[in-house]
Amino acid sequence: MRAPSDSSPQTPVLDVRNLTISYTSARGTQRAVTDVSLAIMPGEVVGLVGESGSGKSTVAMAVLDLLGEDGVIETGDILFEGTDLRTLSATERRALLGHRIGAVFQDPFTSLNPAYTVGDQIAEPLIRHKGFSAAQAAPRVEELLAEVGIREPGRIARSYPHQLSGGMQQRALIATAISCEPRFLILDEPTTALDVTVEAKIIELLASLCDRHRLAALFVSHNLGIVNRLCSSICVLYGSQIVETGRTRDVLADPVHPYTKGLIAALPHITAERHQRLPSIPGTVGKAAAMPTACVFAQRCPFVEDACRNQAQALRKSAGGRDTRCWKSDALKEAPWPTEAGLATARKAPTQQTAPLIEVEGLCKTFDGGRSILPWRRRSGTVAVDHVSFTIERGEVLGLVGESGSGKSTIGRSILALIEPSAGKVTFDGADFVEGARQGDRDLRRRAQLVFQNSAASLNPRKTVGAAIARPLVLSGLTEPKARREKVAELLSRVGLPIHYAERYPHELSGGERQRVNIARALASEPEFIVCDEAVSALDVSVQANILNLLSELRDELGLAYLFITHDIAVISHIADRVLVIYGGTLCEEGPIERILRPPYHPYTEALLSAVPRLARAGDGPERPRILLEDTMVTTSGGCVFRGRCPRKRGAVCDEQAPPVQTAADGHRIACHIPLAELAAAAPVFPDLVA
Amino acid sequence: MFLFTLTRLVYLGVVLVVMSILVFLITQAMPGDVAHLIAGQFASKEVVEAISIKLGLDQPLIVQYGRWAAGILHGDLGRSLTLEQAIAPIVIEALIRSLVLAVSALFIVAVLGIGLGVLAAVRRGKLSDQMVSGISYIGIAVPDFFWAILLILVFGSYLQLLPTGGYAPISDGFLAWAKHLILPVITLVLMMLARVARLTRSSMIDVLQTNYVKYARAKGMPERVVIFRHALKNALLPTITVLAINFGWILGGVVVIETVFSYPGLGRLLLFAIQRHDLPLIQATILLVSTAYCLANLVADLLYAFVNPKIRHSMSNN
Ligand code: SF4
Ligand code: SF4
Repeated sequence: MRAPSDSSPQTPVLDVRNLTISYTSARGTQRAVTDVSLAIMPGEVVGLVGESGSGKSTVAMAVLDLLGEDGVIETGDILFEGTDLRTLSATERRALLGHRIGAVFQDPFTSLNPAYTVGDQIAEPLIRHKGFSAAQAAPRVEELLAEVGIREPGRIARSYPHQLSGGMQQRALIATAISCEPRFLILDEPTTALDVTVEAKIIELLASLCDRHRLAALFVSHNLGIVNRLCSSICVLYGSQIVETGRTRDVLADPVHPYTKGLIAALPHITAERHQRLPSIPGTVGKAAAMPTACVFAQRCPFVEDACRNQAQALRKSAGGRDTRCWKSDALKEAPWPTEAGLATARKAPTQQTAPLIEVEGLCKTFDGGRSILPWRRRSGTVAVDHVSFTIERGEVLGLVGESGSGKSTIGRSILALIEPSAGKVTFDGADFVEGARQGDRDLRRRAQLVFQNSAASLNPRKTVGAAIARPLVLSGLTEPKARREKVAELLSRVGLPIHYAERYPHELSGGERQRVNIARALASEPEFIVCDEAVSALDVSVQANILNLLSELRDELGLAYLFITHDIAVISHIADRVLVIYGGTLCEEGPIERILRPPYHPYTEALLSAVPRLARAGDGPERPRILLEDTMVTTSGGCVFRGRCPRKRGAVCDEQAPPVQTAADGHRIACHIPLAELAAAAPVFPDLVA
Repeated sequence: MFLFTLTRLVYLGVVLVVMSILVFLITQAMPGDVAHLIAGQFASKEVVEAISIKLGLDQPLIVQYGRWAAGILHGDLGRSLTLEQAIAPIVIEALIRSLVLAVSALFIVAVLGIGLGVLAAVRRGKLSDQMVSGISYIGIAVPDFFWAILLILVFGSYLQLLPTGGYAPISDGFLAWAKHLILPVITLVLMMLARVARLTRSSMIDVLQTNYVKYARAKGMPERVVIFRHALKNALLPTITVLAINFGWILGGVVVIETVFSYPGLGRLLLFAIQRHDLPLIQATILLVSTAYCLANLVADLLYAFVNPKIRHSMSNN
């Protein structure tokens, strides 16, 4: 194999031409990528953006020759530094990987082999491709770990993957990818599995690495905010085709293809007016046809005409020098994505005259440590939640924000008595919920429901949608079949699904539809309160907006109260009245959403807000420099739980004393040793929000 | 790893003590009185009593157990009533013969079963996979003793290549010794092979679909390294467990094989002891079989921890 070693600036590092890929399975042939072309110049980072099923990862896997046995490249060429990869043998192609092409995958934990130390795994490409001996590789591995920002490279190299935090694991993968100094990286959703504050650090690292080593990269992501930070140009994929490509700044500021317009509009703005319907893209992603005969977006496009349905769209130059697959794009230049009628006016304000619906006092949850008869095996338990107190009014939406491991899900489950709290009291409408649940109080259980993230796992695959929704009805005594069927039909239309969906099975539904079924099932028992645990996190942006709108509607019409648990500040700012910010199982900050988004900030909230990747959309205001946190593990016991990562740590008092809770206006509370006045002096993260 | 081993050893000690108590109590509860048995059917009451006192059978159970256990700790397993010899050398000899049988069968199963499983997983859906799977199904469906009978009929009676049973000490020459082992070992192998191969195949298929295997490919590792270094080490976890369980099961259930092939191992000894109501011999044999079972589990645990660092750490961290 010969490849030009120093490619001239005119030769793209990666040149994909008219790539078409299909998957064959027992159920037939499925088109995954249709006629995709893209070129990446040396030092250039190109974003490949799309929702699930758009084919974006398939393109990346095709370059890596990791499509699997079912994936077949039907037509097209993949040129790497001028060499057509498809003319090489499988062994030759494999030898390029890890050597000339580095890769980083989505989930760092599962991408690392649990049976070997991190150092061994980083050394592998060096030993394989560069002929290092294990002894020669060891110092180089430490150098690489130091380069990706790990402070104790020696210790980390000797650790096993499960001993590291997610951020560290991803750094280790990045170190592996750059170990043989490739010129080109494939980054397949490298931060999707990470917390926002960690994600911010990793993006920063990738940006500086690409800059320093003049690395080119194909960056696959569903997150427009991150693409905006890292990529100079962008390809938007929809239904296996590229629908728009251009410079990132232009595409995000002024999208020309209707799908891109919709995608950007549907993304929750932090600075948007709250309590308004999010613009959304109706319908769900359809399956790509083997031979497209219409515009791929026709079924969901608000600008659709007959002409769109008669002919597949070819990529053409639109005004502004962008390639797009829409014949109307020039005519639609000024047309914004249609906004939907707001329901905000009908909103019942949370009622505060009566006692709160839910009162949580001093909630604690400790998970058992090792119980053992052998003294050296005994361990103290892990504290998941430490003395958390809050209230929820009737019809109020309380947002609960925190990263993974912050204890947010534990709080949600404890107040529903799905796990038993170690200490503390949960009162629901005056009654002790935990005690009531223990004694089998059906009515209390009926009035509080849960909708959680994994919409597929929460439905029995062998039961029809109708049966799933009918089950709580039966339990509540509605046994007459006809009445039950009517009620199921009513609930289905309530959540915006056609009535005939009652006969379908969960696998026949899309993720968004399944989440609607889960909501319908929760509504069946006519609850007053629903815990939404990351209920929209697993959904694509266009679908997420739909579900958020549905939840807001239900809140307004039925006067439901929610505890809305999420890691996504933008989502919270859309739906929540008040917000709790938690870290390491303790409360950092609590207050109305408007207060949380403005100074005074708790140092953790400030970092969290500044880390949220944003688009430079009109009205987003200038971006403040991000506060980057160390990704160390949570420190508990004594002092402030955030002290290990706090950029504004005050010294010994933070180590020794639990921070005092300081109260500002409107019930805004902050737990920190820094005086309120000093916190209030912080520069606002969203300057345009400051009244 | 050290603390982990220590912990396991302490557990093992506790289990062995409990087990010895159980063995002791169960044999006590068995019908028939030792003193009676020794004295013979027509002995007078006085003679029986005298023997009882001599053997300490008139003492409370706890004292009897204490004496028995203390004896074991000194390597004294008592005397066999029927063979009228010290038990220790008899059982140890039988144990060694059984171990030879079990260990060689296990070794062959491990190598062959894992090899076939990996082959089937890597060539999933291809002809070699279908052959391995098909044969495995037959292997699981056919009852164990069928193999024994079939082998005896074919190799022993029909082809007359191999002895159909018995045992030759190694002093009779290696060939004679080995010839007597072949049929029992093959039978044991056939009993376990299918299960191990199928298990390895399915866990290997799972592991081959993991992200770390995909990432190993993305690092440019050749397929051979991907399969044997990255996938196999993780896929072995369930196989190790099954092998360990099977090991205990061979020792316990080896009775069948030893009886069919009249192989003088621990299983046959136990059968003999039970038929003759030789209580001290029964106790010693059962205790030995259970100890071997526990040791096999210990080895499996240690192997498991060796292969899986996560277990190693969670077991030995503070
Ligand atoms: S071609 Fe028609 S349906 Fe397709 S995006 Fe353009 S306007 Fe919409
Ligand atoms: S109490 Fe100290 S460590 Fe904790 S957030 Fe405030 S300044 Fe930071």
